[in-house]
Amino acid sequence: MNKKCLAPLLIALTFALAACDEDKGHYTDLGGDNGTMPQSDNLNPDSSGIPPSPRPDVSPDSADYQTLASDTVYFAFDSSTIPAAERGKLQQVADWFKANPGHGLFLAGHADKRGTPEYNRALGERRALSVREYLVGLGLPASALFTNSYGADRPAVQGDTEEAYAKNRRVEIGVIVQK
Amino acid sequence: MKSFSVTLTVLLVISLTSLLALRLHAQEGGVEVTVGNLPRVGVSISGGEATQVVSNDLRRTGMMTPVGGGTGEYLASGEASESGLTGRLTRGGSEIFNQTFSGSPRGAAHEFADAITKAITGLPGFSSSKIAFVSSATGSKELYLADIDGYNARAYTHDHVISASPSLNHDATKLVYASYKSGYLDIYLVDLTSNSRTRIVFFPGINSGPSFSPDGSQIAMTLSKDGNPEIYTMSLGGGTPVRITRTRGSETSPSWSPTGDRLVYSSDDHGSPQLFISSSSGVSEMDHLVTGNSFCTKPDWSPDGKLIAFTARVAGQFQIGVYDVASRNGHLVTTAGGQDPAWTCDSRHLVYSNDGRLYLLDTVTGHSLPIDVGLGGCGEPTVSR
Repeated sequence: MNKKCLAPLLIALTFALAACDEDKGHYTDLGGDNGTMPQSDNLNPDSSGIPPSPRPDVSPDSADYQTLASDTVYFAFDSSTIPAAERGKLQQVADWFKANPGHGLFLAGHADKRGTPEYNRALGERRALSVREYLVGLGLPASALFTNSYGADRPAVQGDTEEAYAKNRRVEIGVIVQK
Repeated sequence: MKSFSVTLTVLLVISLTSLLALRLHAQEGGVEVTVGNLPRVGVSISGGEATQVVSNDLRRTGMMTPVGGGTGEYLASGEASESGLTGRLTRGGSEIFNQTFSGSPRGAAHEFADAITKAITGLPGFSSSKIAFVSSATGSKELYLADIDGYNARAYTHDHVISASPSLNHDATKLVYASYKSGYLDIYLVDLTSNSRTRIVFFPGINSGPSFSPDGSQIAMTLSKDGNPEIYTMSLGGGTPVRITRTRGSETSPSWSPTGDRLVYSSDDHGSPQLFISSSSGVSEMDHLVTGNSFCTKPDWSPDGKLIAFTARVAGQFQIGVYDVASRNGHLVTTAGGQDPAWTCDSRHLVYSNDGRLYLLDTVTGHSLPIDVGLGGCGEPTVSR
């Protein structure tokens, strides 16, 4: 590890440590219960189950979804496994994160409309958790990554074609704008 | 003359079709109700529109035929006023019951219809039940309440965010649902008598799909706070959620057994979503329900405990299925599409949505009637019992 990496990493670490002291809100630690995290990606370098982080004070709606728009991750039908072809985007996200310290990221999961509403909400969340798990494996702190799911309620593309559906099965990456 | 011939022909065809229609038998509470041979109930109530309301209610059960005053084997008569209704049911001159129902004119008429239904068929009536649902009619998914016949539809939320997965308690005094009001998906408890709303579950991750226990003291729901969408229960009096599932898949849409000891839910732990039953008191064995469908979500346990309704996805379209708990068999009960079933109190009829509209389904005859709430974009109905 050379000196160039050290400073951003230290800043990220400080951010992570500070986040641990935040008011966790209505969150109960079940004491040793890690849950079982699905294997979202067989080549995931770190596959431990990771509970979501305590929420930041800002709403997901206020995040900047433009900066990392080109790194939106797309998924196969009914699947929350990150396709191999999409992994390069998450490396770009990791690189951006390390180059731009002090920002948290919202991972917003979505589904196409071919499931029932509640199933779609859980599928979107699973996709967001998959991306989070993968980014943690790339070295990002879990406490800076927040998940949210909109099910099929915020499609990127309207319509009933395979092309439209494919564009809606996604996780968008939002940059939390610090006030 | 030509149009008269056409009309006559059409009427003849309709008559012939009706006569040739398949006769369906159903044994309900000791009273045999055969399509084409339903008990005829004369309805004659003075004052207001009670005759019409009661007649429509009886017809909607699909188990009785309302007729004009003097020609039925039963006679439902009474007097309605602004504060309620006094109603009598007689058969061949002897009185079956004589009761006063208080409340709004429509409400009292619905309760009279329920009493008639119970007396004649043995099944509880659902005519005075309430429904809640979401509708995107205004551009955002808001929460609505209505009577089960579609009347009195009104918006409960005006939040301009997505409201989802409502669940009414037994007597429609409380409702739980999920909303993005905070920006995150949280669960809210609504007291419908005091018109107050409280956010009650807001863990990190999603908090969704809440469902009242039969006694109204707990909810079951999906939480992803431990790293994966799983089923939890929680007392409404407060406290730590109790975890029910621990799998690599996602679990959604829990529904309670009528005694509250078990939960049915959907899990994709086997690859595609399937129905499972587990104990409601902690993590335990998952009993896989083999329905015959590869995609099953949104189960709802009937009040009598015998059936579980669910949504199946068949060749890309959603249909309502019903699973028999004792015989461990499932079958589809719609062909024209349907999703998100919610049983009424009689364990025979259920409410579902299809293409943004709500319907009342008689699972015995397979007949659906529209529930016209005057809105499009409707979904995720729940019914009080």
